[in-house]
Amino acid sequence: MKLESIARELDLTDLTPTLAGAAVAEVTAGYASDLLSDVLANAPEGGVLVTLQVHLNVVAVASHAELSAVIFTSGRAPDSEIVAKAMAEGLHLYATESDTFETVGRLFALGVKGGRDA
Amino acid sequence: MTPDPLMTVRADLHVHTALSPCGDDEMSPPAIVDAALAAGLDVIAVCDHNAAGNTGAVGEAAGSRLTVISGIEITTSEEVHIVGLFPTVMAAANAADEVRETLPVADDDYTRFFGEQYLMSADGTIYGREPRALALATSLGLDEAVELIRRYGGLVIAAHIDRPTFGVIAQLGFFPYEAGFDAVELSRHVPAGSATTDGYAAYGLPVVHSSDSHYLEDVGCVATEFGLAAPTFRELVLAVKHREGRVLADA
Repeated sequence: MKLESIARELDLTDLTPTLAGAAVAEVTAGYASDLLSDVLANAPEGGVLVTLQVHLNVVAVASHAELSAVIFTSGRAPDSEIVAKAMAEGLHLYATESDTFETVGRLFALGVKGGRDA
Repeated sequence: MTPDPLMTVRADLHVHTALSPCGDDEMSPPAIVDAALAAGLDVIAVCDHNAAGNTGAVGEAAGSRLTVISGIEITTSEEVHIVGLFPTVMAAANAADEVRETLPVADDDYTRFFGEQYLMSADGTIYGREPRALALATSLGLDEAVELIRRYGGLVIAAHIDRPTFGVIAQLGFFPYEAGFDAVELSRHVPAGSATTDGYAAYGLPVVHSSDSHYLEDVGCVATEFGLAAPTFRELVLAVKHREGRVLADA
């Protein structure tokens, strides 16, 4: 499914609206974790990360793991410096009031699977 | 000018007391001092979770036998543990007040699960209980916690960075160079002088080995050796910052 469609279906707030590519980026896999060492080791390339961790290192880890997007849950949002870094890295950021469990469930229902099954 | 003569100072810069919910109830000020002296330490830093209410009492129990530095171990909102060491009991107390007020009040269920948080006097008498839930993460982000410690003249040390839980690398994936740590702490699980220690030294920051003791028998199980003119906080800062010839050696 296209990233843009996922964002629309889940009613996500786009934190990087000027970043191109969401219309074409195909996302088939996802990962949910707040431990960034775990994300680094296990998140699937091209996938979407669901987390409530808003430290700057989310961007560093997500780009190193070659993820396409990060969804921040439970109403948490990173500060502007982090958004700017993500823009520079070409990483899409979204935010939602929903919690991680709810968000992952909805992604799964849309056909976005865990890394091992995608 | 002749350089100051240096003495070897053994320091364990991360010791909990019975104030920490996970700290053993035997971790009273006089018992900690006895354990530290028995372990051949010259300096300890008392670092309870998100609080500093027993540091003064440990210092008082030590008298002139042992240098006690007032510290704190803050759990940041990222669930990263960082150690702050302060020049005075008062600086630690004021910093701790700012940290504590971000935490909810502990209720009976909390205490049953996490343990008692005893405030003790120098002779080990329990005179009160810390009301805030010290085991929880504060609302302070890593950057805010570092800034807070600095504002009170403190040294900032990334706690047990080799550990899979609450260490900065486990939580944040990469070492955050921009966070402004003065040093990194390795746990008792990493032998001093080992290749693993060398690996962590590659972050370019001084490495300290601390016990993170929650039980008396662990006090001083690892330590850091410093070359200082005197066993004081000021001298320790000089060593960590490699100034005036003060040194920090792998103990």
